[in-house]
Amino acid sequence: MNYPFWDIPILGSGWVIGIIAIFHVMISQFAVGGGLYLPMAERKAQRMSDPELRAEWLKQLVSHSKFFLILTGVFGTVSGVGIWFAIGLTQPEATSTLIHNFVFGWAMEWVFFLVELATAAVYYYTWNRIDPKLHLKVGWVYAGASAATLIIINGILAFMLTPGGTWLAVAGTGHEASKFWNAFFNPTYWPSLLLRVGVCTSLAGVWALITSSQIDGDKHPALKSSLVKWSVRWLVPSFVATPFLMIWYLWMVPTSQRALLTLGIDTIGSGTFSIITRIALIIIVTSATIVGVAYYLAYRNPVEFNLSHAVAVLLLALMATGAGEYSREMLRKPYVIGNWMFSNGVRVPYVSRINEQGYLAHSAWTWNADGAPTTSYSRGEAIFRGECGSCHTLNGYRPLAHLLAGRDATNIGNFVTMLHEYKADSPYRRFMPPMVGTKQDVADLTNFLNAQVNPPKPGVNQAALRAAK
Amino acid sequence: MTSKSATSSVYDWVDERLGLSELAAFARHKTVPAHAQSFWYYWGGISLFLFLVQCFTGVLLLVYYRPGAEAYESVRQITFVMHFGWLIRSAHAWSANLFIFAILVHMFSVYFMKAYRKPREFGWLSGMALLGIASVFGFSGYLLPMDELSYFATKVGLQIPAAVPFIGPAIASMLRGGPEVGEFTVQRFFALHVVVLPAIFLPLLGFHLWLVQRHGNAAPPSVEALPPAERKSIPFMPNFLRKDLAMWLISLNILALLASVFPWALGAQADSLVPAPAGIHPEWYFMSPFEMLKLLGNVLPGEVGEIAGLLLFTLGIALWILIPFYDIRKDSGQRARAAHYFGLIAVFALLATTVIGYWTIR
Repeated sequence: MNYPFWDIPILGSGWVIGIIAIFHVMISQFAVGGGLYLPMAERKAQRMSDPELRAEWLKQLVSHSKFFLILTGVFGTVSGVGIWFAIGLTQPEATSTLIHNFVFGWAMEWVFFLVELATAAVYYYTWNRIDPKLHLKVGWVYAGASAATLIIINGILAFMLTPGGTWLAVAGTGHEASKFWNAFFNPTYWPSLLLRVGVCTSLAGVWALITSSQIDGDKHPALKSSLVKWSVRWLVPSFVATPFLMIWYLWMVPTSQRALLTLGIDTIGSGTFSIITRIALIIIVTSATIVGVAYYLAYRNPVEFNLSHAVAVLLLALMATGAGEYSREMLRKPYVIGNWMFSNGVRVPYVSRINEQGYLAHSAWTWNADGAPTTSYSRGEAIFRGECGSCHTLNGYRPLAHLLAGRDATNIGNFVTMLHEYKADSPYRRFMPPMVGTKQDVADLTNFLNAQVNPPKPGVNQAALRAAK
Repeated sequence: MTSKSATSSVYDWVDERLGLSELAAFARHKTVPAHAQSFWYYWGGISLFLFLVQCFTGVLLLVYYRPGAEAYESVRQITFVMHFGWLIRSAHAWSANLFIFAILVHMFSVYFMKAYRKPREFGWLSGMALLGIASVFGFSGYLLPMDELSYFATKVGLQIPAAVPFIGPAIASMLRGGPEVGEFTVQRFFALHVVVLPAIFLPLLGFHLWLVQRHGNAAPPSVEALPPAERKSIPFMPNFLRKDLAMWLISLNILALLASVFPWALGAQADSLVPAPAGIHPEWYFMSPFEMLKLLGNVLPGEVGEIAGLLLFTLGIALWILIPFYDIRKDSGQRARAAHYFGLIAVFALLATTVIGYWTIR
């Protein structure tokens, strides 16, 4: 534990990353898909024989590319940098591991990202100002650069779920970066990349429906009809391939983690981690709806397709994307980096050492040099922040005060001990890291949690604190 | 014989006996007015869709639910043991709430579009009756899990019929099946919920839908005032139907989202010996009448207040139900304006008392 903790009450630190990242993914995947959509649409328009329709298409593409530039260049960029801040503050240990392995990967991504930003601006501002062939080439450069950012970041994201045996064999030796390519092309790399490409092209079509739905169908029926229908076609590849890719992807995930998806089939009991099943159901319902609405309302009746229909499709697509990203994150439990680092930043091989020496002995930032905390309560609070805080809050998201409600001190102690012993048949082992530390650490955390769940009554407060010392 | 001619001969055979062509011809000629307020036309369809979800999920719950002494245990099994039992139960509970919400939106849109006027009086009356039955559906269904909340909410809720002068206590006792809410109450509410109410609701719903087909959708007075050439309409088949079905799909997605992210919880088993937990309150759609009676009780304490409250309430509802019979003129005269303001006051009173009700939960 080489870094300080960033304590986020109520919301929890995970959601700080979650909110920024889900927002970012919705836009950045559009940036990649839309990057391909624009030059392909431009090429299609340039090849049209009807000069009137060609002019209308190109005019529509100019307005679409302005919308595209603002959405991706402003909101996509800002939220992307936001992810860096968020992961550095809330998961410093895991971020450190990623930087040590993938610093050159990220460097490459940033180069492509700069090319992407520059060409997006050039593409929009040079409409009708440079030779159409050159303009189209700018579009292709943008498409290539934005695809490259996805190709690179996908390796790092997939690595966190499935680092792969080769990398795990050298993890912790200081030679991790020597297995860069093994870590990069990890077991879920290809299915994940293809799935994301499908999402990107779908989002390109969905966002294009937003701008094309606003064309006046009475005045420009041919333009609206051809553009809406062509945009719907962008959804086809992902809807044909996604079921198969999803099976491939899940096949590559370790069985124990894949089983997380089934936890919520038969229960909604608190503390059973059933949410992942429920969120996965949302992906299925929303995706199926998009297929129906896109086909019947847009493809079959393009002229009548209006903005409210397009917004409905967009919201459904964003719900599906958000639910998909959330499920993927949850599928990593109990790790943040598969089989190497638990979701609270504790490295798997360090568990026995911390159990002997104590959790706080390894927390460099917990206290300053003046000395360790003296009360069991404040030691317990520090352990709570370090070991529980990445997934739980006290009274907000996954609130421990609520999850442990109704238990007395002994009962809470038994629960913490069960997490500490981490027996093979423990149900929590499937999605929670072990509680690491000495017997004293177990007692300190228990004291802290008990004081939250069963607060000392007024008047005996001081006595309880003295007893805890 | 090709498959096409086989299909058409089967169609002819059925058509000769059931008259499908007449129905198809009717559907082809049916139109729906198109104007700025067309959005409100979808709420009747949304209500119908949510009712169908209720029927479907209700039948599935019926397979495992056991009324009487085992009620709580059977719901516990549905929620925590059966595969996707929680989903069916959550969808049933959420769609019940959305159903009542959709009916309320539908009712107010009909009210403000003045769609209750001649010849649609029976549509309005049957709609009001359907809303009344829907709320009894909600009240009776709420008790069935027999957890702490439903037990105490039913106990409190039964105070309303009990407050009716003379016959009130007898009605309450008959509903309870004894002096206290218990397994006999569950049995009675169950019979009400799955047999009696559907038996009344379904024919009434058929009547309501038949009236909609007979008279078509009413256009708001502002559109009716336009010369016929300026009134737009779209064919029901397939244009309106397609949009209607799209709204059904959107409703389904909202329902799926709510049922998945916020699955319907099950509290501790009801125990009459345990004191009522803090903050017991009726469901949101009963909050307004509950709060109005409470507020009146503060002004006029004791039995006088209770009776005055019930009388005032009955009068308000009667005025509301009978609106087609005193707001009858097509032009926007004084009565039409008065009815409009009465509607606005009703919406405001409902919202305000509901907010106050939730604000003052203890």
